[in-house]
Amino acid sequence: MLSVADLKKSFNHTTAVEGITFTVRRGEIFGLLGPNGAGKTTTIRMVLDILRPDGGRIHFDGLPFSPATRDRVGYLPEERGLYRKGKVLETVLYFAELRGMSRSLARVEAQRWLAKFGLLEASGRRLEELSKGNQQKVQFIVAVIHDPDLIILDEPFSGLDPVNQIIFKDAVQEMKRREKAIIFCTHMMDHAERLSDSLCLLDRGKIVLEGTVRGVKKAYGRNSLHIEYEGDGRFLDLLPGVQRIIRYENAAELELTPGARPGDLIARINEGVEIRKVELLEPSLHSIFMRLVGNGEPVIVPVHGGLR
Amino acid sequence: MKKAFAVARWEYMEKIRSKIFLVGLLLTPTIMIAMGLLPGIFAQREQQTPRFIGLIDQTGQFVIPISDRLQSFYVLDNGQPAYFILPLAVGGGIDLEKEMADANRRIAEDRLIGYCVIPSSVLVDSVVHYRTSVVGDFRIPARVEEAIQQVIALRRAELMGISPSVMERLDVRLKVATIKVSSEGEEGRSSFEKVFFSAYVFLMMLFFLIATSGQLLVRSVIAEKSNRIIEILVSSCSPTELMAGKVIGLSALGLTQVGFWVVMGVVASTQFGMELIDAGDALLMTVYFILGYLLYSAIFIAAGSPLTTEQEAQQVTSYLVLILVVPIMLAIPAMQSPDALWLRVLTYVPPLTPTMMALRIPIQTPPAWEIGLTILLLLFTIYGAMVTAGRIFRIAILSTGKTPGFKEILQWARLG
Repeated sequence: MLSVADLKKSFNHTTAVEGITFTVRRGEIFGLLGPNGAGKTTTIRMVLDILRPDGGRIHFDGLPFSPATRDRVGYLPEERGLYRKGKVLETVLYFAELRGMSRSLARVEAQRWLAKFGLLEASGRRLEELSKGNQQKVQFIVAVIHDPDLIILDEPFSGLDPVNQIIFKDAVQEMKRREKAIIFCTHMMDHAERLSDSLCLLDRGKIVLEGTVRGVKKAYGRNSLHIEYEGDGRFLDLLPGVQRIIRYENAAELELTPGARPGDLIARINEGVEIRKVELLEPSLHSIFMRLVGNGEPVIVPVHGGLR
Repeated sequence: MKKAFAVARWEYMEKIRSKIFLVGLLLTPTIMIAMGLLPGIFAQREQQTPRFIGLIDQTGQFVIPISDRLQSFYVLDNGQPAYFILPLAVGGGIDLEKEMADANRRIAEDRLIGYCVIPSSVLVDSVVHYRTSVVGDFRIPARVEEAIQQVIALRRAELMGISPSVMERLDVRLKVATIKVSSEGEEGRSSFEKVFFSAYVFLMMLFFLIATSGQLLVRSVIAEKSNRIIEILVSSCSPTELMAGKVIGLSALGLTQVGFWVVMGVVASTQFGMELIDAGDALLMTVYFILGYLLYSAIFIAAGSPLTTEQEAQQVTSYLVLILVVPIMLAIPAMQSPDALWLRVLTYVPPLTPTMMALRIPIQTPPAWEIGLTILLLLFTIYGAMVTAGRIFRIAILSTGKTPGFKEILQWARLG
């Protein structure tokens, strides 16, 4: 569906994107990952023809960009915002028209989507009167109403409550079943891991890792100890035989140094905290991400809940 | 083009419901009508009682001729003379300092509106003084000056030994000349009103329209930039379509506004029995109106789209509005001398062309070649301005954070 070859872009002598190549197929969720400033948004903007690349090619089904391909793309930008004073239905209709839909078809589709998200009653209200979650739903509708073949979602789950996250995930999965190509752009690795089929990890404008999620994880082998525990886990940061640790509130992922024995490690951990669950698994994407772009320091992630 | 119209419709519908638009729609004609009526109100509040003007005359020759002249020339509606001359001191032997101090006291006590000192040297160097507490009222000194001038002229003629009969004829002629000035004002009154009203209404309409819709345009671009709607917009349609849509939408908005005002204006002028300009002139002015509006739209886009905050937008738009005020300031001198060279020259400075032509048309329709040339000039300028604005717009709408410098914007305009 989308093929990007050797894409380059720099701003005022700083290189934002340095020769990126990737392909997104239909029926696939493609994770475009990387820390802030890695070049994700710049890449997306070039795919969307908001920015003109300095070099490289972007093709849709083998065709270069044109006004016609423009209408086949849907976009949910990272920074949300629609016209605050605009009415819900009119806003959706406006953006649908901008994507080349006829007004009558747009009306039918808008009503279907609004009903799907439980927003039919809010059609006549101003956007600013809606809750943040509902505003995000409207924004999502704006991105997909014209039934695009390629959907680009930039941090779609940021700021969403768990209920809305599930609604969005279901909507994305449905798109996937309908053979749409989806680019899912995030720095939240756990989201990417659960949703993406394949991925590409950017750092400082370059691809540092790519492949299917399964393949990538396999390549790193089963050398990660995923534990859930109760107690003060701070001592885990200093354990020998661990080359990297990602610690959550009551869980941790420990990447073993080659040759370290998991059994010994578990015994020592058990001395400090009460282990509730332990698994030896492939590293999480988060851990791989940290290994590739982090600086080797222990990472403490203050989120609630466990790893999975 | 379909998308441009979608943008146009959206801009139109959103803005027409906004409060700022409604306020402008109603407030502007109110202000204009007030401006039209105020001179009338002031005219009616003209002086009702005679004013006293003191005279210190060291020559001792002017008291009677001056008071005769002033009293017979300027008469109030109720038949009383407008001015009475009060001789304070007459003759060469007076103590000028003391008399003036005395006269100043009278002014302070409100018994005199002012007083005039005629030194004995007046026949040689023609210098007199007029002292008053109301410096703002330039009419009284002008009238006093005129009266003294006439009297001195007569007296000099007399000194030259010109015979009384010649003097009388001279005096008559002088008198006629004086009247001619005021009577021309009388005759020209209706046409002046017409010129003033149509040109001024045109200027004010263009001014308010550009000021409000230009601000709306800049503000909408800034809002779209700050909440990143612009990303969705330019990934849906080209920047050119977006800009075209905005200009079309806001022009339609402007025409709605002006249409409303014109209807109000026609109603008001028939109500007040004012003269309207003829249809041909009106049509011509409409053409300049639309061209002027488009030109300024481009200027607003070019100047407004690189901005990133509302505050900057307010500053920049108020500077732009200042440019628009220039023709309004020039309106009165232009109406007084419609044939002046400077007026013709300014007509060919594109940002001033529409307003200058609007000033000239009701006074004296300019020759066809001038009309053709200015329209052509405007069309070319609009084209160039739109292309430049488009180039700036395309880059500017995606730049956030720091507002670019002037040099950078120039570079955008050049390279596109």
